[in-house]
Amino acid sequence: MDLELAILFLQQGLVSGLVIGSVYALLALSIVMIFKTSEVPNFAAGEVFMAAAYCALFLMVFRALPVWLAIPLTLATSFLVAALFRRGVLTQVAKASGSPVNLVIATLGLSYVLKGLVRRTGYGDTPRSFPALVSTDSVMIGQASLTRLDMAIFVAAVVVMAAVFWLFAYTKVGRSMRAVGMNPKAARLMGVNIERVHMLVWGLSAVISAIAALLIAPKILMTAEMGSVVTMAFAAAIVGGFTSLPGAVVGGFVIGIVENLVGLFISSRAIVVAPFLVIMLVLIFRPQGLFGGRFAIKKV
Amino acid sequence: MADLLELRSVSAAYGRIQAISGISLKVPEGAIIALLGANGAGKTTTLNTISRLVPVTSGSILFEGKPIERASSHAVVRAGISQVPEGREVFRDMSVAENLEMGAHGRNDRAGIRSDIERAFDYFPILKERIAQKAGTLSGGEQQMLVIARALMARPRVLLLDEPSLGLSPLLVEKIFSIIRRLNADGLSILLVEQNASVALGASSYAYILENGEVAVEGTSADLKQDDAVRRSYIG
Repeated sequence: MDLELAILFLQQGLVSGLVIGSVYALLALSIVMIFKTSEVPNFAAGEVFMAAAYCALFLMVFRALPVWLAIPLTLATSFLVAALFRRGVLTQVAKASGSPVNLVIATLGLSYVLKGLVRRTGYGDTPRSFPALVSTDSVMIGQASLTRLDMAIFVAAVVVMAAVFWLFAYTKVGRSMRAVGMNPKAARLMGVNIERVHMLVWGLSAVISAIAALLIAPKILMTAEMGSVVTMAFAAAIVGGFTSLPGAVVGGFVIGIVENLVGLFISSRAIVVAPFLVIMLVLIFRPQGLFGGRFAIKKV
Repeated sequence: MADLLELRSVSAAYGRIQAISGISLKVPEGAIIALLGANGAGKTTTLNTISRLVPVTSGSILFEGKPIERASSHAVVRAGISQVPEGREVFRDMSVAENLEMGAHGRNDRAGIRSDIERAFDYFPILKERIAQKAGTLSGGEQQMLVIARALMARPRVLLLDEPSLGLSPLLVEKIFSIIRRLNADGLSILLVEQNASVALGASSYAYILENGEVAVEGTSADLKQDDAVRRSYIG
C-alpha cells in the first residue's frame, strides 16, 4: 500500500470512526451511568436501544405522526418503561434477595421481554429502514468523505454527552446520583430518596440509548437483533474503566476508530475481532481501564 | 424539659435476626444522652432504626410527639433528625464543599445554605482550608469533622452521633468533644453512641447501657460514673 493511500485511509478511518464511535459512546454512557449508581451491568441496554428505534418507527411510519411529536414521545416512553422497570422489578428483586446476580439476571429478563414484544408486533420480521431526517449528501473533510447525516449524528451525540456531563457535574440531581454511587448509605442519611435516584438514572439511561437509536437507525437496517451493537458499547465501557463517564466516551471513540482502521487496513472481516483485541490489550496493560481509578479494596 | 425524641419499647430486626428488643429511651430537648455498650450490643442498630434504615418490628418512635417509625429515611432527615454514621462515611470523590452541599440535600434556600456552610467553618476552621480538596484525601480527624459538619447542614434538632472518637488520637478526641459540647450549648440535642465510656459519661447528662440489644442499665451519667459494676465493665 503506498503512502498516499495509507494517509487517505487514515483520514477516512478517523472520521468514520468518530461518527460510529459517538453512537457507541452514547450507549456506553447509558451502561456506565447505571453501573456507577447500582453496580448492575444492564444487559438489556441493547434491547432498550432496539425497542426505542422500533417505537419511533411505529410512531412515524405506521402512525404517521410528525417527527416533532414522534421523537419526544419515543424518549418519554423509553424513560417511563426503564424507570418503571427499576421500580417495579429491580427494587422487588433487590428486596427479595440482596444478591446482585439476581439483579443482573432481571436485566437479562428485560432484554428478552423487549425482544419478544418487538417480534410480536411483526415489524421486526423484515429488515426496515428508518426515514432519514437529514440528507445523505456527501461532504468532504480533508480527504475523507462523509454524509450530512453522519455529521448530524456526531454533532447531536456530542451535544447529548455535554448535557450528561453538565447534569452530573453541576446540578443537584446529578450530584445526588454521584453520591448514591459513591456511598448509598451516606446518601440515605443525607435525606436522598435513593429509589427515586435509581429510577431517574434508569430513565435517563434509556433516553440516551433511545437518542443513540434515533441517530443511527437511518444508517442501518433495523431488525430485532440490532441490539447486538451493544457489545461494542460494553467494549467501550471496559476500555474506559466501566465507572467513568469520560472514560465511556473516550472508549466509544477508540472502539469506533479502531474498528474502521482495521476494516480499511486489514479486512472488513477482521472488524468483529477488533474490539475484543482492544479489550484484551486494555485488560492486560491497564486492567482498571483508561479512566478507572486505582483498584480499591471495598469494605464489606 | 420536653422530650424531643423518644423510643417506646422499640424492637428492630435485620431480616429474621432480632437486633434490638424493647428499647425505651428519651432524648430531652437540649440534652446530650449517651448510649453505651460493648461491640454488637445494638448501639448502631438503635441509631439506624431511628434513621429508618432498619425496619421497626414493634414499638414506636416519637419525634416532637409524633410517631415516625413508619416514615421514610428522607422524611426523618427533613423532620430534623440527622445521623453522623460510624466510620466517617464521606463522599470520597467529592470535594469538601460538595460534601457539605450534600448535607443540605433536602433544602432549597441557597442563601441559607451558604450561610450555614460559613457557620460550619466557624466550628471547624480546618475544613475551610480544605474546601476544594477531595474528601477521601483528608486525614481521619478531618473526615470526622467533615461528617459532623455535613450532618449539621440539614439543620437538625437532634444529632445522632455514632462513635465520633473511633480511631482518633486522644488530642483529637478532646477537640471533637469540645466541639460537640459547643454544638449542644448552641441548642442542639445529641444522642451519642460511644465505646469510650469515660469520655461519653463526661459529656452527657444521662446514659443508657445496652447489652444484647436491650437496655441493661440506665441512670444519670454522674451516678453511672460512680457505679462500681459499670466502672468494671465499661470504663476499666
